[in-house]
Amino acid sequence: MIRNNVTLLDIKAGEKAEIVSLAGGYGFMRRLQEMGLIPGQIVEVVRNSAMGPVEISVMGTHLAIGRGIAAKVIVRPVRRQIYGR
Amino acid sequence: MEDKKEFVVALAGNANVGKSVIFNQLTGGNQIIGNWPGKTVEKAEGFIEQEGVRIRVVDLPGIYSLSTYSEEEIVSREFIAKEKPDLVINVVDAVNLERNLFFTLQLIELEVPLVIALNQYDILERKGLSINGKKLSELLGVPVIKTVAVHNKGLTELFEIVRNALLKGEKKVSHLRYGKEVESRIKELSEIISKKVKTYYPPRFVAIKLLENDPLIKKEIKDEEILKKADKFRKELKEIHGEEAETVIISERYAIASRIAESVIERKSTLKESMGDWFDKIALDKVWGYVFFILVTIGIFYAVFKFGSFFSDLLSNWLESFKPIFMRMPLTPFWNKILWDGIMEGVIAGIGIVLPYIAPFYLILAFLEDSGYLARIAFLTDNVMHKLGLHGKAFMPLIEGFGCNVPAVLGTRIMERDRDRFIAAILATLVPCSARTVIILGLVATFLGPVYALIIYVLDFILILITGRILNKFMKGTPSGLIMEMPRYRKPVMKIILKQTWIRLKDFVYFAFPIIIVANVVMEIFSIFNWIKPVANFLKPVMTDFLGLPPLAGITFLFGILRKELTLVMLSTLYHTTNFAKVLTPRQIFIFGFVTMIYIPCVATIAALKREFGWKRATAVTVGEFVGAIVLGGILNQILKLFMP
Ligand SMILES: Nc1nc2c(ncn2[C@@H]2O[C@H](COP(=O)(O)OP(=O)(O)OP(=O)(O)O)[C@@H](O)[C@H]2O)c(=O)[nH]1
Ligand SMILES: [Mg+2]
Repeated sequence: MIRNNVTLLDIKAGEKAEIVSLAGGYGFMRRLQEMGLIPGQIVEVVRNSAMGPVEISVMGTHLAIGRGIAAKVIVRPVRRQIYGR
Repeated sequence: MEDKKEFVVALAGNANVGKSVIFNQLTGGNQIIGNWPGKTVEKAEGFIEQEGVRIRVVDLPGIYSLSTYSEEEIVSREFIAKEKPDLVINVVDAVNLERNLFFTLQLIELEVPLVIALNQYDILERKGLSINGKKLSELLGVPVIKTVAVHNKGLTELFEIVRNALLKGEKKVSHLRYGKEVESRIKELSEIISKKVKTYYPPRFVAIKLLENDPLIKKEIKDEEILKKADKFRKELKEIHGEEAETVIISERYAIASRIAESVIERKSTLKESMGDWFDKIALDKVWGYVFFILVTIGIFYAVFKFGSFFSDLLSNWLESFKPIFMRMPLTPFWNKILWDGIMEGVIAGIGIVLPYIAPFYLILAFLEDSGYLARIAFLTDNVMHKLGLHGKAFMPLIEGFGCNVPAVLGTRIMERDRDRFIAAILATLVPCSARTVIILGLVATFLGPVYALIIYVLDFILILITGRILNKFMKGTPSGLIMEMPRYRKPVMKIILKQTWIRLKDFVYFAFPIIIVANVVMEIFSIFNWIKPVANFLKPVMTDFLGLPPLAGITFLFGILRKELTLVMLSTLYHTTNFAKVLTPRQIFIFGFVTMIYIPCVATIAALKREFGWKRATAVTVGEFVGAIVLGGILNQILKLFMP
């Protein structure tokens, strides 16, 4: 197993991340995958405050994911390209 | 000629794509429509009859996949897979093609005859995009029709194609191929399956689902050899790809979906921030979101109250003015009493007290439902809901509860687990439905002032929170989390809003109104024969000594079990007035409002509870709420004695 502690919760609003894996029960994992959170998929975090769920944009739709579940979505932050400005 | 005259057509697709709108348009049905995922929770049927062909159309709950997660989705899968409709209309959200195709691909795997309705095409066009329907149809091997269900566009054509497909009855099977490693294993497995077992499902579908480790399919295929083989293949796939086999298959299916979507979507314009995104910055903000929510809620109730009390006065006075005419009729006093005090006062109460409040309330509710804002409330309340052992999605049925508790209890099916459902349903019965709103606005707000009405609402919400916390403590289990697609905001379509309002009002006019009148007549007969006193005296210890209400109020509570509006209606009948300030003290008005708010779910709600959770639990809830209301009402009475006469 790859050790990686970055989860969706750690990604700030406006930043992007690549899905690495989902660490949880069969049911919820399946659901998230079916909603498009498959390994390699890039998602953008739209909203992320301690008060509520994480909202992400994936494949053109917005998903609200409770914080408990978001904590089980392991991701890799995607650095924004700095050149070209 | 065909021997089979009736065809079955199912509407299936992701949640919130427009299945129920299409159903209503095709069959003239009355399915609930709104802009959030998970409104339809059980299948509904309607019929189309044309030129000797009879088609049974079935509207199904929205599902994301043929693997299943929550209860309403199992309904859909079971229906499509086991009852084998002659054809499935796969309603697809054109704006969200890729995700929707993910489900379409599974329907194709299930080998059901398919027609695709590419719905919400208007929104796609507004975004500056278009889809090459012909190409999509070729790639999938399925007819594709572009539709705008809310404006009835493309539906005639859709129906024609469905009809022709049914009459021809040909079945062609198209397959979409997975990657080499997966595909070869599917083939091998499905060959064994087709030789060894008989299932409802096509062998290829079973093979795929076994590789996906689907628990339900595994239970159905009991054959050891097949299950072992599937396990072996799953291990191999995991070794090759470094992911679980189901992840591999889902990823490949998504890859096919996105390849198709990319090749048919034309004129990609740059996505700019839409109005909706901008509005969400307020509606979902961690501070302003709640402020906005509270303002909206208070605004709605204030508007309903103002509108309602104005028309209530107007209508009651107008109807009262007929009294002299009735009194002059040449009838015996007995019949005169029955006619005026029994029937007419029932009519006046229904039209004068109830209708002016519920009509605008339903209208605003329909507007909210169609706008997409409800899902935002679910988002905002997710954290609070967690404290009750639920999650944000539970808020949707709870909000439905403001209209009527019955659909709210049924609507809890969107919760994934039984425990969550039951907690949500109990809380739903405590939500002030439109009938209770009538009482709070028509009695408390009118005679004590809107602030007191607000206090009762706040007390009720606190009660809901506390109940939730207690239930969460006593019913074991960690809550599952929120996973919800956020619907796009939509400009509500007037026609749909009016229809929704009418569907709910119709229920009141055809169903509640007769009950009100009959109850009134019954009451009048009781009063003529002097039977009221004994009953009232029997209830007196609780009613008067404990709650501080007049003994007659107990009788209205008995009627209120039928429909909550009846408590107020009966009060007006018993005292022959709608000016309640004359007959009740302020404290009595307040206690009356509070107790009616919570004292029991009405019979329809009890029946819904029984249907969903069984007699035992329905009885427990009913008794619990009854005892709770009396105890709390009594305590409140003691406290209020200090402030109010
Ligand atoms: N603009 C537009 N809106 C549509 C169209 N079709 C449906 N809608 C809206 O989409 C929303 C969802 O429609 P429903 O028919 O309730 O969706 P459903 O697929 O039955 O949803 P569930 O029962 O929750 O699975 C409603 O707000 C409709 O008014 C369309 O073609 N164009
Ligand atoms: Mg529906």
